[in-house]
Amino acid sequence: MPTKLEIKSTRDTPYIIFDAENNQFEIKGNSLPENTNNFFEPVLNWIDNYIKSPNKSTHLICDFEYFNSSSAKMIYNIFLELEKIKESGNAIKITWHYTNGDDLIEEKGLEYKSIINVPFELIQK
Amino acid sequence: MNIDTTFWFFDRISEDNLCLLYNGSFSDEITNKLIELSEYNILNNASLTKMKKKASFLMAECFQNIVRHGEIIDGEEIDYVDEGFFLTKNWQGIYYITSGNLVEKHKIPELKRQLEKVNSLSKEELKQLYRDVLANQEISEKGGAGLGLIEMARKSGQKLDYFFQDFDDKFSFFYNQIVLKSMEEVFQNNEESPFELKEAIEYHQKMTDSNILIIHKGDFSQDAIFPVLNIIEENLQKEKKDEVSKKKVFHILVELLQNISKHCYVENGKKEGIFMIGESDGCFIINTGNLIQNEYVDDLKDLLDQINNLNGKELKDLYLDKLRERNIPKKEGAGIGLIDIARRIISPVNYSIIRIDSKKSFLTINVIA
Repeated sequence: MPTKLEIKSTRDTPYIIFDAENNQFEIKGNSLPENTNNFFEPVLNWIDNYIKSPNKSTHLICDFEYFNSSSAKMIYNIFLELEKIKESGNAIKITWHYTNGDDLIEEKGLEYKSIINVPFELIQK
Repeated sequence: MNIDTTFWFFDRISEDNLCLLYNGSFSDEITNKLIELSEYNILNNASLTKMKKKASFLMAECFQNIVRHGEIIDGEEIDYVDEGFFLTKNWQGIYYITSGNLVEKHKIPELKRQLEKVNSLSKEELKQLYRDVLANQEISEKGGAGLGLIEMARKSGQKLDYFFQDFDDKFSFFYNQIVLKSMEEVFQNNEESPFELKEAIEYHQKMTDSNILIIHKGDFSQDAIFPVLNIIEENLQKEKKDEVSKKKVFHILVELLQNISKHCYVENGKKEGIFMIGESDGCFIINTGNLIQNEYVDDLKDLLDQINNLNGKELKDLYLDKLRERNIPKKEGAGIGLIDIARRIISPVNYSIIRIDSKKSFLTINVIA
């Protein structure tokens, strides 16, 4: 089982916790790093490893304050990776949290929902 | 604000190593960010680093002047009393700090007397006056001068350069300019200052007429982008814009500023550009200018012409296509940011590209949100 991945938030990067043992998967806060590839690479690597023997049911919580468009691409890549969990007969779902009135984050959630093939629920805070 | 104003400023500050112009309200949060950004600019410029401490001190003194006069007057709340102007500029090896703040008219004669007093004293006499005032604050009202003014004169080593400009029936703008030489210790008073206070006042006038909040020419790394974003957020907060439009403006700014930092032509290790934001009829007008490599020009033109011809639905589809592209482009995020901007503005992504030489061109982008 991969070790826990926990990244503290900064002014331009989100809080991330991917903890297989406690079945906790969460991305939260702002994402507008100067170099998006560098920031998300360890996250994608961790997932790549995790999907080889995932938990029976994985639930990713996304709770963004703001993210820029290069992060948008990385977030999509994370979703695509997690989608592979289905191939091994295990369950994956994503919930997308947004503040009432935050059109930008809500819209981004709806867009992801329309282009990925996993249960994806939008939840208004 | 229109495109002519953009070029008016671009022309005037194009030779500056760095330039920060701010015309808005002054809270502690905003003054801290203006100092943070100026310090970042100074540290990023090898010829200026030596004077960082002095410049920071002098900027803080300028802000104290501004904040101190932001009061309720005769029980009447005047909401523009904290409005002011701030400029830092590095041009031809000289560093300028200019501030402008509103002063009640009846206070002007006393302020003038203090300024003249400070300007009439020698270095030694200033030191003595500083001690006297420190020991007995009352001297300020009896023929002395405020500590701030004395310190500004002492630290800058020059006569205080000031000007009063009529504002309305209650207030005048009090402008003050400090000139620091980057190489030597102080700027000598007998030298002609190439950038005069009256030009700074003209900038302020132009910014006010065109409703421009901030202009920044300099490096656009993340550390410089953040103070700019914070200053604008603070101003949006004050204007009580709704959350949706605040976030929209924030998003467009992030994309445009990070585009400069990601895609600009890097000269001497610096990611330089010019950025300007202003308001017109309740909309925000944002302009950027930066050098790009000639080899990117054709693709960029194609993309911009393409997105300017698409409607909202088509832009959304193009955005989603870009999102789904599996390859991560070498220049990360190229294109997708501009598409997402185009979806949220009421104007086309107006642009111009002017060839500078065989290697680089100058790109300007103008959007209205």
